[in-house]
Amino acid sequence: MVFLQLFLNGLQLGAIYALTAVGFSLIFGSTKIFHVAHGSAFAISGYIYWWLASKLNVPWPLATLAAVIAAAVFGLLMERFIYRPIQRHEASFFTVFIAAFGVSLVIQNLIGTVAGRGMETVTTPLSRSVEIMDGLFVAPVSAISIGVAILVFAALSYFLERTHVGIAMRALSQNPDLVRVFGLDPGRVAQYAFVVGSAVVVPGAIFTAMTAGLNPAIGTHVMLVSLAATIVGGIGSVRGAAAGGMLLGLAENLAYWKLDPQWSEAVTFVVLFAFIIFRPSGFFGSPTTAK
Amino acid sequence: MFTYIVSLATLIGINAILAVTLNFILGYAGIFSLAHAIFFGIGAYTAAVAAMKFGADFAVATAAGMVISGVVSLALALPALRVRGEYFVAASLGLQMLALTVFSEWKSVTGGIGGLIGIPPARLFGFDVSDPVLFLGLTLACLAVILLVIRALVRSSFGRSLRAIRDDETAASALGKNVALLKTLAVMVSSAFAAVAGSLFSFYLSFINVESFVLEVSVQIIAMVIIGGTATLVGPVIGAVIVLLLPALLTYIPYLPPTEIGSIQQMIYGLAMVLLMIFRPSGLWGYGSDTQKQGEP
Repeated sequence: MVFLQLFLNGLQLGAIYALTAVGFSLIFGSTKIFHVAHGSAFAISGYIYWWLASKLNVPWPLATLAAVIAAAVFGLLMERFIYRPIQRHEASFFTVFIAAFGVSLVIQNLIGTVAGRGMETVTTPLSRSVEIMDGLFVAPVSAISIGVAILVFAALSYFLERTHVGIAMRALSQNPDLVRVFGLDPGRVAQYAFVVGSAVVVPGAIFTAMTAGLNPAIGTHVMLVSLAATIVGGIGSVRGAAAGGMLLGLAENLAYWKLDPQWSEAVTFVVLFAFIIFRPSGFFGSPTTAK
Repeated sequence: MFTYIVSLATLIGINAILAVTLNFILGYAGIFSLAHAIFFGIGAYTAAVAAMKFGADFAVATAAGMVISGVVSLALALPALRVRGEYFVAASLGLQMLALTVFSEWKSVTGGIGGLIGIPPARLFGFDVSDPVLFLGLTLACLAVILLVIRALVRSSFGRSLRAIRDDETAASALGKNVALLKTLAVMVSSAFAAVAGSLFSFYLSFINVESFVLEVSVQIIAMVIIGGTATLVGPVIGAVIVLLLPALLTYIPYLPPTEIGSIQQMIYGLAMVLLMIFRPSGLWGYGSDTQKQGEP
């Protein structure tokens, strides 16, 4: 029963991780930008939701919309004012990385200064756990989060495989000229990738606010998880990032069987390391993605 | 006032060692590590334990820290450097988080959250060097030795190979360079020297805890390198001076609540990193943007 409970918790955490990693992977896959400020989109949207929903009592659909807009705008601004000017001079991984890291540092401290450094949760009647079987507790919000994750993946897959812009996004990493064949501007497609990739973190951020809670350092944790899930899944593969996120969520929770919760980041590291050593191309990456 | 300046100079010296050693891999080899504070910490804990439990003097305690730090860095570098740069970034961030948990949970060795108290005064070859001015001398001597070693390494064929790898890894490996081995060696050297800073820190404060080795410290060291200038010998030292003088300057700003100073400092580092990357990627002391080009078209 303990196992089943941990497995269920793992599914829920995995859904959140998967949603976050998918956005990171989508951005990296189409623009080749290693967007380490991705965790900031998570933190910003989570805090916006918390502030609106629990401080100002704004109804949840409106608060969700505001969070989505905040994340999307953040992604757009990053592309426009940070990555694009840098890539105009030279497109080194190193320069892009430091600038993005600088942004996340500013955002994390800004949140700490404005919202405080404690743990913040959004309480809803749905976050109370219900005993569904003897000794097996599930909060409605956990079930909902898994359902939402599945919906978002379905929508995202449809978008990437069936729509004009989605296909152009996948084509962008291969060949910007190919994007022009679709009648789209490559720069514009990169912006779409940032908007969509940043917006997908929002459900994860909101469910985290409702369950484990938010603190200003959440962005760093999310960044670690996104990086790890992307590598575990295979760099550049959106499907892989989802699988990687799910695996990390499950591994973290199943580890609680034997370990204390403070070791969660250690579990992430161990899984990441196992993949780097034994399968650097990840679940779905082609061997050429890793040198 | 004199005491304050000596203590500030000692801390700047210790941080300059960290910045110089990180720059060795960051600036010259293009390896981005988010775990430098961990190697600083391994040096600090090893030296503290060596001195407290075995009565080791400064040289022995430092050597022990360098060996352990080098070995741990090997465990990180060997697998993570065989693959692309992104893997090392992710792995080093993971190591930073994992090692911090180990530091705070392995109570019998590290004293847990409370840390280690009562590290004995530094002794070197039987002489007491715990006097602040003498200790400053010891710190600056360590910094000078490390600078000289790194200068020699950078100018050797090893250093040239590292720069070749940084500028174009594919070309370097086509020229027959063993890229993974060279990078691994560079990380080992950098981590072992970072442990020297840790040892100095332990003996200087006679008290250490996990607070000094958190991710923010790794970031602060990166900020020193970036602000001062990557791939230059003096840049990181200047960066360390600027970054350490910043909190002192911030206290002069009126109406600034003291609890927010740390946060504002971090925001300034972050902002400086962003602006420098956009306008002057080689840092304040760099020679212009071409010193840092990494061969990507």
